[in-house]
Amino acid sequence: MSLTKFTTISADRVTEDNIERKLYSRDMAFVPSIMVKPFFQTLPDAVIRPGNAEQVADVLRQATDERIPITPRAAASSSYYNSVPVHGGWVLDMNDLRDGIEVDTAHQTVRVLPATTWFDLDDALQQKGFAVKTYPSSAVSATVGGWVNMQGQGIGSLKYGSVGDQLVSLQVALPSGRGELQTITRESDLPLDWFVAAEGTLGVITWVELGIRPRPNAESHHLFAFDTLDILSQSIVSQARAEPRPYTIFFADSGYLRLLERSGFDIPFDLPQPTFPVSEKGLFLVSFQGEPSEISRGRDTLLHTAGKEMSSDLALDEWNLRLHHLRTKRTGPSLLAVEVWLPLNKLFHYLTSVKNLAERNRLLIGTYGFVVAPDMTLVMSLYPTDERQTVKYLAAIGFTKRLHDLAARYGGRPYGIGLWNTAYLPRLFSRTHLAELKRRKALLDPSGIMNPGKVYQASFPLWPITSVPGATMLGALHLSLGRDRS
Amino acid sequence: MKDKVFFKGLMAEATICSYCGYCRSVCPTYEGVGWESCSPRGRLHLIRMLLGGTSLTADQMKRLYQCTLCGHCTQVCSTRIDLRQFWLEARKQTVSLKLSPPEFSTTLDNVVRTGNIYNYQNDERAGWVEYMDDPPADLYQRDRAEVVYFVGCLSSFSPRTQRIAESFVHVLNAAGVDFTILGEGEVCCGYPLLAAGMHDETRKVIEQNLERVRATGATTIVFNCPACRVMWLEQYARHLPGVRMLHSTELLADLTAAKQLPMKDVNRIVTYHDPCDLARNGGVYDAPREVIAAIPGLQFVEVHERRERALCCGGGGDLEMIDTALCGHVASQTVKKLLVTGAQTIVTACPQCVRMLSRGTEQTAPDVLVKDILELVAETMDRPLKKSQD
Repeated sequence: MSLTKFTTISADRVTEDNIERKLYSRDMAFVPSIMVKPFFQTLPDAVIRPGNAEQVADVLRQATDERIPITPRAAASSSYYNSVPVHGGWVLDMNDLRDGIEVDTAHQTVRVLPATTWFDLDDALQQKGFAVKTYPSSAVSATVGGWVNMQGQGIGSLKYGSVGDQLVSLQVALPSGRGELQTITRESDLPLDWFVAAEGTLGVITWVELGIRPRPNAESHHLFAFDTLDILSQSIVSQARAEPRPYTIFFADSGYLRLLERSGFDIPFDLPQPTFPVSEKGLFLVSFQGEPSEISRGRDTLLHTAGKEMSSDLALDEWNLRLHHLRTKRTGPSLLAVEVWLPLNKLFHYLTSVKNLAERNRLLIGTYGFVVAPDMTLVMSLYPTDERQTVKYLAAIGFTKRLHDLAARYGGRPYGIGLWNTAYLPRLFSRTHLAELKRRKALLDPSGIMNPGKVYQASFPLWPITSVPGATMLGALHLSLGRDRS
Repeated sequence: MKDKVFFKGLMAEATICSYCGYCRSVCPTYEGVGWESCSPRGRLHLIRMLLGGTSLTADQMKRLYQCTLCGHCTQVCSTRIDLRQFWLEARKQTVSLKLSPPEFSTTLDNVVRTGNIYNYQNDERAGWVEYMDDPPADLYQRDRAEVVYFVGCLSSFSPRTQRIAESFVHVLNAAGVDFTILGEGEVCCGYPLLAAGMHDETRKVIEQNLERVRATGATTIVFNCPACRVMWLEQYARHLPGVRMLHSTELLADLTAAKQLPMKDVNRIVTYHDPCDLARNGGVYDAPREVIAAIPGLQFVEVHERRERALCCGGGGDLEMIDTALCGHVASQTVKKLLVTGAQTIVTACPQCVRMLSRGTEQTAPDVLVKDILELVAETMDRPLKKSQD
C-alpha cells in the first residue's frame, strides 16, 4: 500500500505503529478475540489523520486507485463496530476536522466541521445566543458527523425530530469521484438523506450544515416516581403527545436504578429490598425548553400526572446527569446493552417482558430511554457482566439476541447497524428498501472501499444459519452464568 | 452533577472504562498530539496492555507521561473513574517495573540529592528574601510562628516566580500575620517525585518537611503553589492533625474580607486562569475571585472555560521533563482562549501557571501581562514592591 504517495499529507499524520493501530481496532464494546480474529481483520494496516477536507480527498483518491478499505472514525462512541475496520485497510481518524463553527444568524443555521462534538457545538452556539436542536446522550464525545452517520435520534428529538430533519447541507468526499468533494443540499441531484444513517459507507463527510434554534429563554425539569410500569408507561405515552411538546422525556425502570445503586450512586427514591422479585417502580423526567409562557403551559400538562412528583433539586440532578448513564458500568465491571427503537404504545409490554425475564432468571437488567417522537422511543436495556471471564462474557453477548427478539415482538428494531447488527437486517429493512440501499452504495462506492462489511449484508459468522443457533445457545447459558448472586 | 469518583485499582478501573471518549474531548495533551494513544482512554488501555504483559517501546511508554495530571478527564469520566489517581498509580507501577522514562532521572535525582528541582544548593532556598527592600535580620526564618509559609521550589529559585514569594511576604507583613518561612529547612514537597511514581523517595522528603513544620508549632501552613498544597493535603495532612493547610488565595480572601489589606485603584482589564491543582484538583474556586472582586477599579472578565472546566497551562504532571514542546503547545492554546476575554492581564494563582502562561504569551501576545494574584494584590497596596512587577 502506497502510504508515501499522498500529495498533501505529511508523514507525521500517518502511523503503522502496531500498538497505535490496536487502539483503533475497537469501539465501546469489548468483543473477545475468539469472536473476531478468525473472521475479521480489525487491525488497520495504517491510521491516517487528515487535517482538512483536501487531505481526506487525497486519501480517498489513493484508496480508490488501490482498492484499499477505508474506515472513517472520530469518537468511536458506538458499540457495533460501526467505525472499526473488519477488512483491514486504512482508518481515517477524522478528529482534526473539528470546530470551524460558522453561524448564519439570519437563517438560523450553523456550518461545522464533522468531528466537533455535540457538547462543544452547543457550548459555542450558546455563547452566540443559539443552541442545537437535538443531541445524543453521549454528546460529550459523540461528533456531529458521527451522529449524522447514525440514526441521529436523541435528546430533543421529541420536539425537533432527528438530526436528519435538521440537516441543511453537507460536504462529502466520494469514492466514485476519486475523493472529489461534493456539496450536497436539499436541491442536489444526489439526495441529502442518503447520507443520514449511512454509517460512513458512501463517503466521508467533511462539513455539516444544520438548523439551529435560539437559545431557550427558560427551561424546567420535572421528575416523577411511579409504583407500576403500567402507570409509568401510560404517563409517558400521554405526555409525549401533550402540547406544548416537551423538549425531552427520559424514563428508567427499577432495574436501571438498581444498577446505579449497586454502582455506588444515590438514586432518587428507595427501592424495595431484596432485589427479587423485581420492583415495578420507575421514574420519568419531563423537560421543557423555550419561552417562559411555553414552559408555564408545559407545567400545566403535568398537573394530572399519576406519579409522585419529586423535588425540583432531584429533577435538576437527573437532568444534569442525562449524559452520564454509563455510570451503571461500575457494577459490571463490564456492561452489555441492547438499544432499540420501539413504538411507544408497546413500551409497557416491553418493560414488563424485560422485568419478567429478569425476575424469572434472577438477572439484573436495567432499562432507560428517551422518547424521540410522539409515537416512538429509544430504549436501552443494560446488564452487567465481566469481560475478564470469557465464557461468561460470551454467554452475555449471546443474550443480546434474546433482548433483541423480545423487542422485535413489540415492533422494536435495532438502533444502528455497524457489523454486529447486520444479523438483524431483515428486521431493519424490507427487501425493497435494502435493495435500494445497495443500489446507492454501488452508485457512490463502486469499488466497495467505504467501510466495507457494514450495514448492507451480514458476513459469516453473522449469517442467520450460524448466528441464530450460536447466540441462542449462548444466551441460554447466560440465564445461569449471568444470575445475580448478591 | 454529582462529583462522586471511585478507584478500585488499576486493572479493575481499566476494565470499568467504557471507552466512551469523554476524557478525550477535554484532554489538553491529546489535543496537541492527536493520536489515540495520547488520549486518556488510549493511555488507560496502554497501561492495561502493559500490566497484561505486553512490551511497550520507549516511545509508547512516553505516551503514559504525556499528561499534565490536570484532572479534567476525571471531571468528565462517564464511569466516574478517578483518573488522576489512576495515572499516579500507573506511574508508581512503571517505577516498580523499571520502565520509567530516562528523562526523569536527572531532575528527580536532583530532588533527592539537593532537596529542590533546580539542582541548586538548598541553602540558597531563601536567597530571594535578600532581594527585598529592608529584609528583617532573621530573613523571616523564625523558630516559632502561628503560620508557616511553605514557599515551594518554583517560588524559591525561579527568578520570575521569586517575585510571587516577595509579594506574599509583603502581604503577610502588611496584614500583621505571625509567620515564618523554613529557609534551607524546607525541601521539595515531593509532588514531582510522586508524579513520577517514585513513592519511596517521596516519603523521605515528606519526613524532612514534617519535622521542620512540627518544630515551629504552627497551626496553619500556607502555600502559594497549588501543587504543594494538594500534596500536603493528600500526603502530609494525616500526620499533622489540627493543622490548617491553606492556599494563599484562601488567606487573602479572609484578609480582604476583613479589610486588613489597604488597596488602591487599579485601572486594568483582567481575566483569571484557574490552576488545575487549585481548582479542579484542589476545590478552591471562589477565594481568588473574591480577592479580585475586592480590588478597586479592576475590570474582571471571566473566561468561558473556567472553574471545573478550566484550561490547563501545560506545566503539570512532570510533563516539562518529558516533552517541553507539548507543554508549550498546551500553554499557547490556553493563552489563546484566555485572550478572547480582551484582558490586558492574565491573573492566576500558581507559579507554574505563571511560568507557562508567560511562555505562551511571548510569541503571540507580548503586551499581555501574566501575574500571580499575589503580585497583583501587592501592587495595589500602599507600599508597592521596589522591583518591577512586569
